[in-house]
Amino acid sequence: MIHEAVETLVPISFMYKNRVGRYLQHYLNGLKEKKILGSKCSGCGRVVVPPRSACGRCCGVMDELVELPQEGKLVNWTVCYVKLEGGEFKRIDPYIIGMIQLDGCDSLLSAKVLDLQPENVKIGMRVKALWKEETTGDYTDLVGFIPL
Amino acid sequence: MRRNVAIISVGYNGRFVSKRPDISIVEMLEQAVRNAISKTKLKPHEIDAFVVGNMHTFEGVNMGNLWASEHILALNKPVMRIATGGTTGMSVFHCAYYHVASGLYDVVCAIGWEKHDEGDAQIGLGGILLPEVFSLAHFGPDLTGKRGGGLGLMGGGGGSTGGASFQAASYLAKSGGGIEHIDMAAALMRANAAKNPYAHLQVPNCKPEDIAKTPIISWPLRYGHTCPTSCGACAVILVAEEKVKKFADTDKVAWVKGVACGTSDATIGNVHDGQITDPADQEICKIVARRAYKKAGIRNPKKEIQVAEVYDGFAHQVLMWPEKLLLVDEGASPKLIEQGYYNLDGELPVNPSGGVTSTNAIGASALVRVAEAALQIMGMAEGGHQVDKKIKNAVAHGWGGLFQFVTVTVLGDTPVKK
Amino acid sequence: MKRRVAIVGYKLMKNTRASEWTRERIYYELSKSLLEELEIKREDIDTFIFASNDFADGRTISEVYLVQRMGAYMRDESKVEQEALNACLYAWLRIQSGEYDTAMVGMASLASSQFKPLLVQNHELDPVYERPRGLINFYSGAGFQARAYMERFKNFTESHIARYAEKGYRNALKNQYSLQIIPPSIEKIENSDPIYLPIRELEVAPYADGGGVVILASAEKAKKLTKKPVWIEGVGSAQDTYWIGERDLVKLDGLREAARRAYRMAGIKNPKKEISFAEVQTFFASEEPVIAEALGLFEEGSGAEVIEKGLSEIDGKIPVNPSGGSFGGNPMGGTSLIGLINAVKQLREEADDFQVEKAKRALVHSQDGVCAQHNTVMILSAGGKK
Repeated sequence: MIHEAVETLVPISFMYKNRVGRYLQHYLNGLKEKKILGSKCSGCGRVVVPPRSACGRCCGVMDELVELPQEGKLVNWTVCYVKLEGGEFKRIDPYIIGMIQLDGCDSLLSAKVLDLQPENVKIGMRVKALWKEETTGDYTDLVGFIPL
Repeated sequence: MRRNVAIISVGYNGRFVSKRPDISIVEMLEQAVRNAISKTKLKPHEIDAFVVGNMHTFEGVNMGNLWASEHILALNKPVMRIATGGTTGMSVFHCAYYHVASGLYDVVCAIGWEKHDEGDAQIGLGGILLPEVFSLAHFGPDLTGKRGGGLGLMGGGGGSTGGASFQAASYLAKSGGGIEHIDMAAALMRANAAKNPYAHLQVPNCKPEDIAKTPIISWPLRYGHTCPTSCGACAVILVAEEKVKKFADTDKVAWVKGVACGTSDATIGNVHDGQITDPADQEICKIVARRAYKKAGIRNPKKEIQVAEVYDGFAHQVLMWPEKLLLVDEGASPKLIEQGYYNLDGELPVNPSGGVTSTNAIGASALVRVAEAALQIMGMAEGGHQVDKKIKNAVAHGWGGLFQFVTVTVLGDTPVKK
Repeated sequence: MKRRVAIVGYKLMKNTRASEWTRERIYYELSKSLLEELEIKREDIDTFIFASNDFADGRTISEVYLVQRMGAYMRDESKVEQEALNACLYAWLRIQSGEYDTAMVGMASLASSQFKPLLVQNHELDPVYERPRGLINFYSGAGFQARAYMERFKNFTESHIARYAEKGYRNALKNQYSLQIIPPSIEKIENSDPIYLPIRELEVAPYADGGGVVILASAEKAKKLTKKPVWIEGVGSAQDTYWIGERDLVKLDGLREAARRAYRMAGIKNPKKEISFAEVQTFFASEEPVIAEALGLFEEGSGAEVIEKGLSEIDGKIPVNPSGGSFGGNPMGGTSLIGLINAVKQLREEADDFQVEKAKRALVHSQDGVCAQHNTVMILSAGGKK
């Protein structure tokens, strides 16, 4: 492709400043305090993570923020071997991504699962959150989950 | 057999503003949809289908409708996505109209939105005109001026203002108007906007002299003639005739009498069918308007249309579009605007909402034209921009692409007889 | 449904890795040749609907230079920015309203030569949660879906996914308009590089450049334009939740809803008996059994049995993707129009080497978003037969 052959002289970057909105801002603030926040629907009581304003099932408003437990069970998983870089997949050391059902939450949270080999994965096994030492209010504060 | 469709409510997320750092795209959409529903007797799950539209290069989200399933209350419902440039909002409206007119759905919500504070509008707009220029700039001549002595993006077409100035100059030459008439048009728009609580650029009692003080970007267009980039969402709910009584919370609804759309050529200066393409000709607008009037049963638009909401991305278009929509004679606008013909209390109020010159959230703007025309018929325009006479018929117009796409919607206070 | 609407003609471009034609040329050549074949002029087409995606086309309002090439100059046109089957749906809605009698729908996507599909797909994710976290995307979604299916139905293994891929490549080779990839062996597919296990590299449909155009017409016009109209009997569409953590990736509620609506309109009570074959849109081989079962074509959990016994082969009980589907090339954004055209070919008995015997009623499916979040289903039936 041509853009691989020619050196860029004047880079034009499309600068996007996407807004996280109120609910994700609360979520990120929660991560800084090593908390996982979800939202609860005032109509049907459904609890989801990440938190958002609208409940799909009953069209209600999810105006209550709830702090979720930091433990749950591993319900689904895949092993990731690639990373998106420059529009291509680059091969990297594999790691497990899991879908975790935190206790009391109706939606699954996707996260890295560490300290676990694929051959040892059992659906339903208990995992708990692993945090960075120094949190900054970024998604990387929640490093992932580890088996209990 | 024709199925009549009515607009029963119009919703906004709030006032259109330059920046909304406090909410995300999906939260903005939710506010507009809930606002529209609150003015009806509908329960949210009673909406059958949704049509969403925006120009996503301005936010960098490819399929924003996918992200917003819950927020627009559309979980497991049909959702269609339409995007046609500046006229996206009205193309969305037409699609929603056909959803109901087809007989397949009874209640459809049309949503047009844009959140310009999340991207750089000029790059998005420049991407229409001259993507080749951007490739060049990427690899060659310094068109951005960063290395000094460059032409700047303005030289490369300057996004849409550069292109629109061709149209404005040609229009003035043909109609005999002058830059002062564009000043009058812009002042009228800003003053109208001041009576519209949802409009972006509100300047109460704006005078042409105020506009004339602003610098010229590309003759004859001044800074004061151009539209802002706004953030906002508009939601309009359409209902089939049989269900209007059940769901509308008002006696007066706005009936969709005729819709039509069309496209002409993108390039300027070519010879097509013996005609040199001139963006001020807009033959396609006349063709489309005639088609819409015919469907609406309107024989004499000059007499039968009481209010017009036209898509004036630049103030000279306040003068141009009423002529191309066959509401006034060709070339008549400069004299008419001098006489106050287009004023809020004039013979033919044009853009009582303040138009696109005062509020431009690109994906929403053309839908807002329909919404505002509907509000005029329903007698529900707030803040003082309700035209003070009985509106039997209104026309809403949208324009987009490279001076080529046109959409026209004719609304009325009674449905077309079958 | 007020009016019967039929597909009266089609033109397809051969899928290729690098198209010699620009997008403009593709629209021009296909539209012109189709109009000539039907012996009509562009003025006989009441509306033109485009299916294109600005991100994929690399320019804002990408149809600005395309409208004239398809013949829409000074005529009625619009653009749907989802998978191309939705553009067909919009054209169908316009004809249903009674205001139009004919419509042309077109797509041209240069997914292989002009843009990086991974980047376009990455931008389909929301910019503030999933995209920055980088955990959920089309590929990891497929990995989760395949794993969930394997956990729920223990007899389905990674080897079966490879077998579905091999069937796709093998069918595609019979289809003159596909990329004509020599089918890799099941062993080679099974051992190809892992991406998001259990998904492997050769189980991902290859991207391609492709283009297609169809004309729809109301019954009265259709009878004049062709002896072999293909009737649109039912349509259905539904958008599921964006959040992967709230979806049952095996059950696919959104897809079931879209199918339910299409079946009801078409009067189909038992798809297993009434559908002759299906052209479903998949990005990954593992999606085929999941989607086919959610559509009600096979028993839930029968993925292993279906591929082992060849029930979805061209000569099987219900052929799924007899054209090879996306494994003949995936021109992202327009793949479903190719699926529609291939279904039309079958129903008109023009499918040559991949012809399904006694094809009467077809199901065509399109998906948008991760793990088929938004689905559109159409039911077609063969006309012009005694």
